[in-house]
Amino acid sequence: MLIRMADAGKTFRVWRRKEGFKGFFANFVAREWTQVTALANVNLEIRRGEFVGLIGANGAGKTTLIKCVSGITPVSSGSATLFGVDSFALGDGEKRRLALVMGQRSQLWWDLPAIDSFRLLREIYSIPRDVFERRVEEAAKRLVVTEKLQRQLRQLSLGERMKMEIIGAFLHEPDVVFLDEPTIGLDLVSRETIRRYLVELNRERGATIVLTSHDMEDIEETCRRLVILRQGRVLFDGDLVGLKARVYDRRSIEVHLEPSSRTWDESLAPRLAPLGATLERSAPLTLLFSVPAANVQTFVPLLFELFQIRDLAIERHPLELLIRQIFQSGQAPAQLSSGEPKA
Amino acid sequence: MSGAAVPSALVRDLRLLVVALVYELRKVTTWRAGFVVRELMRGMWRPVVMIFVYATILVQPTDRLGSYDFRGLVAYLILAASFEKLLFHQRGLDLSDQIFQGYVTKYLTMPLRFFVLALARFAQHVLIQGGVVVLLWSAGALLLPQWWPQPASALALVEAALLVLLGSYCYFLTCFLVNALAFWLDVVWTLSAMTSFVFSFCAGVLVPVSVMPAALRDTLQWLFPYWAVNAPAEVFLGRLGHADFLRGIVVLGLTAVVLELVRQVLWRRGLARYVGAGM
Repeated sequence: MLIRMADAGKTFRVWRRKEGFKGFFANFVAREWTQVTALANVNLEIRRGEFVGLIGANGAGKTTLIKCVSGITPVSSGSATLFGVDSFALGDGEKRRLALVMGQRSQLWWDLPAIDSFRLLREIYSIPRDVFERRVEEAAKRLVVTEKLQRQLRQLSLGERMKMEIIGAFLHEPDVVFLDEPTIGLDLVSRETIRRYLVELNRERGATIVLTSHDMEDIEETCRRLVILRQGRVLFDGDLVGLKARVYDRRSIEVHLEPSSRTWDESLAPRLAPLGATLERSAPLTLLFSVPAANVQTFVPLLFELFQIRDLAIERHPLELLIRQIFQSGQAPAQLSSGEPKA
Repeated sequence: MSGAAVPSALVRDLRLLVVALVYELRKVTTWRAGFVVRELMRGMWRPVVMIFVYATILVQPTDRLGSYDFRGLVAYLILAASFEKLLFHQRGLDLSDQIFQGYVTKYLTMPLRFFVLALARFAQHVLIQGGVVVLLWSAGALLLPQWWPQPASALALVEAALLVLLGSYCYFLTCFLVNALAFWLDVVWTLSAMTSFVFSFCAGVLVPVSVMPAALRDTLQWLFPYWAVNAPAEVFLGRLGHADFLRGIVVLGLTAVVLELVRQVLWRRGLARYVGAGM
């Protein structure tokens, strides 16, 4: 097990600032301290080669979790281990096997061209020169930033900067990479390039990747496993496809018919019933069915058998709606009812 | 991970120090106007003002201040200003900002000792300011030879340089300690400014320590700032001898050891309770 958190908790002690003139004196003389719980009883195990999406509303504890696991800050209770070692006591050997990219904090040096930052990283991680040059060349080519390597980091666009951050993070070929909102503020093309690159690295090198993002497309297109945090607790931890199938187990299929096609009549209903399909709406040349997601593969050929079809659309419920429902309800997905989410 | 053997910690530190030093040098020369203002002109105004202050004082019936006449004071002020430029500067370390803003976190997951990077900043400062001081010193000696102080001997020059270098390192450690308080406090810049002022006074940058009241003078001679500016100036001028130099080395060496131990403890404790921005 690469990453393990057992009943891990993290609390911060903060003082409550009182308002007004009286508060001014009270704040100075007698402070009222309170505990803020960032993480509570988190149990999490991540194996080698997994690509895990970590999501949650603002303040849910995503960044704190990453900081606890990567050894930046110690847990207040329970335990957090990385490579079998207490995360807050990682030695240089373990640190060589991990990387951290924070979308809102540059890991590279602002005043240097990216290539100079990489050279500093080469020294920090003791990467042989020939290996280093090959890796930089290959990564820059794949992320389409070869021409920008000599340019000062502060002069690069946000997307180019983030690509450089990711090149820097993977230079020493870490076993575990934590990415905290790596696509924040990026355009579509940059986001897609970065996602594709991460998926390839995960597949080719078997790097374990933990990704947090508010962009559900990032999660959907890269992760197999999803962890949802709410108020410092793990609300859900499981397979992303399974989650969607469990909660939104139906698909909407809109069928546009050729004018020469037969139209809907009640005699067709018994043929649809075994597949759990129902007709939701009927117009002269348009039909809308609701079908269990698992039966779509069987249902679509049947439609082609029954009708002359000009066009057909299968609508998948966006994951974002599901997540919104979970954030708002605070219920684990198993407790949520199937069907349309409440927007 | 690469399969190459990982060098020992000391070798890695040294190699990282060299690479980080090159980075620091490149960074400090990125903005040319900034370089001129920050590195060349900084610290030049105070001695000029103080020369006029002493000129005013010594216009009075007495023409001496302690053991200094006006010409001696000018020589002392030139030396004090030069040595002060060689000392690490509090603004040279932006560690407290990095702690506040959470930027220091990036180093915490890397296999390096963060202090090596700070040390590179110190080395950069010594190199740049060393060059600047040599340049200004040469210009001054050419333009104002009658006022410019000359070393009592080659040995005095070397001894003064060693004292300043060690004193600068002690002050760098002090700056690091004050910055590291950002783990606990949000008034680090104020503390830093206060430290700088107290240091200047104790170092004899404003007034030579030897002309201060005896009790104060005797106390300051046990503190490292005196040995970082005032004493080197007087060693340079031949007012202090070899025995004084050795005493200075002992005081500065012990101070460096104590400050280093405190730094290590403070850094470890600070990290354990670190709450940067966004955490």
